[in-house]
Amino acid sequence: MTPEETRALVDQLDEYRTGRSSAGVEQLIDQDPEATQEWYYLNLAVDAVRNTGLHDQVALVRETLRQELKAPAGESYMAVPANQTSRRATEKPSGAIIRTIGKYSFRAAACILVVASSTVIYKYVTVSSSSLYGRYFGAYALNTSRGVEKETPIVNAYNEKDWISVLSLAGTAGAKDNQVEFLAGMADLQLNRCDDAITHFEQVIAANAQASTDYYQDEAEYYLAISWLACKKVNQAMPMLEKIKADPNHKYHQKVANMSFFDLRLAQYKENK
Amino acid sequence: MRAQEQYTDAELIGAISAGRELNDAIQYLYRQYSQATSSFIMQHGGNEQDADDIFQETVVAFIEVVQKGKYRGEASVKTFLNSIARNYWFNEIKKRDRSGLRNKQFEASREKDEADVSHYISEMERKRQLRDLVDQLGESCRKVLLLFYYENLSMKEMVEHLPYDNEQVVRNKKYKCLQALTGLIKDNPAIARQMQEILK
Repeated sequence: MTPEETRALVDQLDEYRTGRSSAGVEQLIDQDPEATQEWYYLNLAVDAVRNTGLHDQVALVRETLRQELKAPAGESYMAVPANQTSRRATEKPSGAIIRTIGKYSFRAAACILVVASSTVIYKYVTVSSSSLYGRYFGAYALNTSRGVEKETPIVNAYNEKDWISVLSLAGTAGAKDNQVEFLAGMADLQLNRCDDAITHFEQVIAANAQASTDYYQDEAEYYLAISWLACKKVNQAMPMLEKIKADPNHKYHQKVANMSFFDLRLAQYKENK
Repeated sequence: MRAQEQYTDAELIGAISAGRELNDAIQYLYRQYSQATSSFIMQHGGNEQDADDIFQETVVAFIEVVQKGKYRGEASVKTFLNSIARNYWFNEIKKRDRSGLRNKQFEASREKDEADVSHYISEMERKRQLRDLVDQLGESCRKVLLLFYYENLSMKEMVEHLPYDNEQVVRNKKYKCLQALTGLIKDNPAIARQMQEILK
């Protein structure tokens, strides 16, 4: 295998993530036994990484649960049968499986500690309001979400993803209705101007409160929460997300119910630290 | 929180398969099923740490089985988890080989209609060996590979999480780390043996 061929195999492996592949490389894998073997090892390596990631994620949830459910008296969250209490109190710990698999050495214990710590650090580092915003922001499509919209210039500009024109038209509009405010908010969000987006979405909600209407109410509430995530204000986003999650009739209920509140709370913890 | 509500088996499988609410699903598995495993293991020679580790391995194996579409639903989630956990613990006892008595105790406690999960157990063992190799890579490589292959981040997103200047540096680093891991796997005699069997 030449280094170029190995590189091509790695590229092929990565392309599979996006559903693409190269016929030339597939042919190489099929016909060259060395390439077949290398391909197998590469897949094994990726499989190992994914398994490690999942293992880390489960460990993190386990640790979080342990902290969350820790009883005041120091009991374990995994209840111990009453008849085992005295035995457990006196027995010499036989050690964790990972330790026994290894050589019962301090080195192994230290490795476990490093891995456990890095797991927590890894998740702690990767989860942030920005990463959550990236994960949960989805573009708003006018025609699919609210039926066929009246084709005004601002609607046309929005459908063409011409965000600058959307903002320009919103700025020059005389009486701004909720649709104009909402689309301006979405355009700001698309242009990474989360503070301005927040102002527009709040305006929609305020207008509805004043007129006792609900025009673009659900949309504004959801994207307001998303804008707060974009602005690294998880504390503000959380009550709105909780409200949407608790309301099964909310248009964005399912979307919010599918969010990981564990990760959101982790980001909130980081924000409050 | 969803984890404190009830999932039906079908909802749980659906959530895990789709990869959504995975943390909530894991929490649910712990809240719902860890105690039975814990009790069983502690009644059969293990301690709390053993129970903890066994259940963690069981949850990982279960999620992988579901995500690969290999969970057929022939047994309930509860039965499946119990079978995996019990057999994995049995396997562990055999490795420790502390006393034949415990093996006998365990065999006596096995349910007659317990599913054959031996292939899952050997797969779990193989995965554990591979995980050890990932851990041998060192923290920076471990993180690069996890961000790319587990978190599915793009190179651009990875730059934000890593102390590297640009996407090309991250791309090169990821390539080298993957090569390093492949090298460790090739050098592992047990895995090399499996490889020879597969390619025969």
